[in-house]
Amino acid sequence: MTQIKKIFPYFIAVVAAFIAAGIFIAALKFNPFKAYETILTTSFRTPNGFIQTLVKWVPLTLVSLAFTVPLSSGKFNIGAEGQMLVGAIGAAAVGITCANLPAVLLVPMIILAGILAGAFWGLISAWLLYQFNINEILTTVLLNFISFALIDYVATGPWRDPAAGHPTTIAIGENGFLPMLVNQPPLTIGVILAAIAAILVYFYTDKTTSGYELVVTGANPRASKVHGINIRQMFLFSMIIGAGLAGLAGAIEVSGTQHRLIEGLHSNFPTLGLIIGLIARGKNQAVPFVAFFIAVLEVGASAMQRTLLIPVQVVLIMEALILIFILLSDLIRRRQK
Amino acid sequence: MSGIEVFLIDFLKLTFLSMVPFVLAGQGTMLGGRTGVFNVAQEGIMLTGAAVGFLVGYLSSSVFLGAVSAMLVGGVFGLILAYFTTTLKMDQFVVGLALFFTGLGLSSLLPKLALGVTLTPPLIPTLPDIPIPLLSKIPVLGPILFNQNILVYLSIILSVLLWYVLFRTNLGLRLRSIGENPKAADSLGISVTRYRYLTSIIGGMLIGLAGAYLPMVYTGTFTDLMVKGRGWIAIALTFFGGWSPLPIMFGALFFAGVEVLSYRMQVGGAFIPYQFLIMLPYIATIIVMIFTFGKAKAPSFLGQNYDRERRTL
Repeated sequence: MTQIKKIFPYFIAVVAAFIAAGIFIAALKFNPFKAYETILTTSFRTPNGFIQTLVKWVPLTLVSLAFTVPLSSGKFNIGAEGQMLVGAIGAAAVGITCANLPAVLLVPMIILAGILAGAFWGLISAWLLYQFNINEILTTVLLNFISFALIDYVATGPWRDPAAGHPTTIAIGENGFLPMLVNQPPLTIGVILAAIAAILVYFYTDKTTSGYELVVTGANPRASKVHGINIRQMFLFSMIIGAGLAGLAGAIEVSGTQHRLIEGLHSNFPTLGLIIGLIARGKNQAVPFVAFFIAVLEVGASAMQRTLLIPVQVVLIMEALILIFILLSDLIRRRQK
Repeated sequence: MSGIEVFLIDFLKLTFLSMVPFVLAGQGTMLGGRTGVFNVAQEGIMLTGAAVGFLVGYLSSSVFLGAVSAMLVGGVFGLILAYFTTTLKMDQFVVGLALFFTGLGLSSLLPKLALGVTLTPPLIPTLPDIPIPLLSKIPVLGPILFNQNILVYLSIILSVLLWYVLFRTNLGLRLRSIGENPKAADSLGISVTRYRYLTSIIGGMLIGLAGAYLPMVYTGTFTDLMVKGRGWIAIALTFFGGWSPLPIMFGALFFAGVEVLSYRMQVGGAFIPYQFLIMLPYIATIIVMIFTFGKAKAPSFLGQNYDRERRTL
């Protein structure tokens, strides 16, 4: 019963967002019921749709955790985009330069390179915060813009694929491709890696002392400091873990999906990551589920654009509305207490 | 005139031209922050301001109407921010981020709805230079300072005006006292809520106009994500300027100078790969923050909501 009571405001918030967005769709002279039918059922009607949803779920979960893990300590990492891209660069660099290594070595090396490269990118912001107390929102965002130029540099540099029209590197070694779970339609073990990452994060923040200190720091930094927790170290640590998760998303993108580094690889995943993290109200364990829901919406949205010609941006508005209504429902609960 | 002189005059003229979005967004951020409302949605508000300013300007064939609409939309963002934080007491960062991607989504959606998908985007006329009689004839200074578009002049006037209001009038004293100690201000009968709404809305209007400046002066059209981080840089600029109008204006000149330098060197075919020149403004911003962030005199209650029923602050 209490569980239902807890979920109920979320349910209302989602329904309210659907109604509001439905009015918007109707105002654009489209049929909202047809739109919602497509959005909600595409993922479950065919195996292809379901696998597409899982493929989207992987980066969404990871970039959302990249936001919520630092948020557990009270810090805002808006830089998952850059960390994911730099992770992808690291993964591609290893995949190209060590192309001839056997798969048992190369695949773990690529994944590790991605995680480390992403973590390094986050470390810059974390260190600036630790050393100079510079607001992490600003540095993580600015590093995003720097990473766009960096990926362009790498994709047009010595590894450039001259045959491709768009800035793209040559392919990584075939031994570096992530093993397949399902061949047709393609689903790699990336989905398992993301699930493991999500479980480890949950285990860490909820079941270990260090993770507890992290959460306490976020809940009340002053009290934590008084009780001997080195809160600045906690900030540093949580930012690096978050960034490493974003780097993992980049590595999976390179080694599992693209098999090369493509400029413009950053779609709107990281923005969605922020929305997912906030809808989950920063709760790490809720992130994978919210991410799945958003993946369903996203897959449905592209189907909707294809078949009904409704612009996909409508779904972004809907997601922002869900977030706003959930924030409001939070408030209502606070008032009732 | 020698070649280097021509280059310098051209460079400085462009720097003053490029200062405007930073000045407007920086002052808008500062104004809200002075009463404690920390807006972090600049990038989204500027994007929507750019899209709305361009669309209204194009559809009504009036750049002026475009600018006014961008300001109105920015003001609505400021109002929503004020309502959610000051009245509903929600976390300012969370609301700001939610508004950031609302703006991001709107700016990408609105042009598609209004114009459909077009291969050649329509253009609006860019703002003309208005030479000021006599002053524009002064050698060197004339072409740099007194032969600019109207918003360059207005942004300088605005900065001086804001300095005057904040530091030389009773109203300014009230605004500043709210950001420093809302409880004390409240106990003196100053309406914390009213002034927070006021500054947040006016701040949002300035940020919206900062966005509209980009299509109105630089490109004549709207392209997705055209703000390119200027909104975020404006936040850094506000800290850099110690939340004071005049230093913010000079800081804006610095960031504009770096931006112009970065473009000039890309065009000039420098030996450095152009991607590193693109990074220049962002790297400069981070370096500037290292030197100024710790010392910056931010308002004490920046980013914190005020609840008069709470005993402790």
